[in-house]
Amino acid sequence: MSLQLDTLAYTNQLQKLPPEHKLVFALVVLIIALCTHPPVQLLIALWMSLWTVVYARIPLGIYLRIVYLAILFLITSLPALVINGVSLTDLALIKTDIWRGITIGNYYLYISYSGIHSSFTILTRSLATISCLYFVMLTVPFVEILAVMLRLGFPAILTELLLLMYRFIFILLTAASELWTAQQSRIGYRTWRVSMHSLSLLVGQLFRRTIEQYHQFSLGLAARGFNGEIRVVNSRRYQTSKRYAVEACVGCAVLIFFSFY
Amino acid sequence: MSQCLIEFVDIHYTYPGSSQPALNGLNLCIPARKKTALIGQNGCGKTTLFLLANGLVKPQGGKVYYQGQPLVYNRRHLMELRQKVGLVFQNPEQQIVASTVEEDISYGLCNLGLPDKEITQRVEQALSEFRLTEFAGKPVHHLSLGQKKRVSLADVMVLQPELLLLDEPTAYLDQLYTRQLMTTLKKIDAAGTTILMATHDLNLVYRWADWIIVLDQGRLVLEGTPKDVFSQREILEELHLGVPLIFDLVSQVSEFLESESLATTPLLIERLRSLFL
Repeated sequence: MSLQLDTLAYTNQLQKLPPEHKLVFALVVLIIALCTHPPVQLLIALWMSLWTVVYARIPLGIYLRIVYLAILFLITSLPALVINGVSLTDLALIKTDIWRGITIGNYYLYISYSGIHSSFTILTRSLATISCLYFVMLTVPFVEILAVMLRLGFPAILTELLLLMYRFIFILLTAASELWTAQQSRIGYRTWRVSMHSLSLLVGQLFRRTIEQYHQFSLGLAARGFNGEIRVVNSRRYQTSKRYAVEACVGCAVLIFFSFY
Repeated sequence: MSQCLIEFVDIHYTYPGSSQPALNGLNLCIPARKKTALIGQNGCGKTTLFLLANGLVKPQGGKVYYQGQPLVYNRRHLMELRQKVGLVFQNPEQQIVASTVEEDISYGLCNLGLPDKEITQRVEQALSEFRLTEFAGKPVHHLSLGQKKRVSLADVMVLQPELLLLDEPTAYLDQLYTRQLMTTLKKIDAAGTTILMATHDLNLVYRWADWIIVLDQGRLVLEGTPKDVFSQREILEELHLGVPLIFDLVSQVSEFLESESLATTPLLIERLRSLFL
């Protein structure tokens, strides 16, 4: 799944745009999303989804699936927001706030209007902010984000660590899936007990392979003249697009206008 | 007899935690400007030899000489050595560092401290030479094995080394890629680089190499031109190495003709033998 997301970042229709533009745009919209009221936030969610699905041509199925994942998290925290409990003695204080409630012993559990209202605002805010995040995740390759960070003055060691982690995640995923396939082909997951045993072997082997690959990688790095820092040169073949820039600016202005309205 | 580009004198090396020495009194000379092939069983010390040649490990006994000078194991000299001696590992994942192809090729050049403009130019040149231009911006983990091998070869060649070490370059490659690789190596050789290739493919070795080195259990057993080495069948059979298919074929044909005692055979046999054996 993560390989698919990574591939999308490199093959979408907005890939040619300079990453700075995309990042600044997403950041501005994010700030607006955090400061406005729910209707504008919903509008932001729709607009950013438009950018992602229509302009960048990210497949709708994948986009909806990852949005669904985020919503799922939200739903699990919904009960905590909405359900309140007070002791029977304080019932008079919150009378106006009750939508439905039941008495349990000395306590009264109820669904509050304010809880519903706050969960709704959280929902809209989440939708708006994750649409901004997904826009960045799906249209800007990680490597370009790192390059921007470096140019902004982030310490080189941080970007190098992130680069290596990014490289190694895929190697790790490949190793894990290979081990899993090998175990599957030898009926390693027939029963619960057997599965647990196979899984433990997999994790152990993964650890060993990681150490081995790290050692090989450090030899490879040394053989290519590693001198303390990982510096690379990227020929920036980007094309700015007036049409998108205009739409982005106009859109942000409209959103800001509506926030005050 | 041409000059030794790199020379190993009485090398002893044991991997930490291993009971058997990987290299056991190895004396070897790699001739300059020739195409040398290194053959031997698995575990005969080929990879260890390459690591020593690139200064990645230090021998526990003996010395390594590059162009007559002994290797000095400090940072500056090792940097210079690694620019002159390019090592292409068997597994391309091992030496691919950066995320995209272009960045990976530029990595070695950045380490040399060259100006950005020159780096970009040399990267462009390497990309077109190795037919990687369409992959320039692509991340490495989206490439197939053959493409990754091309990238790893490009990363090393962009530094313009004098000696190119290849550890089993044709392993897991299909016929097309193997042929493309051999064409590329021909160009590299024509440009004046010495090539040392460790491989199991004897037919390739026969077609390509000017000089052959046979290792066994960390020692040099045979060296010479392909004709000389492969004519010593008994030794090669003892080492479980065998000979290229064509040798087998020719010797079987000539044996057959001899046994059948056909009238024209002596001349034919002579001709056959002189051509191949």
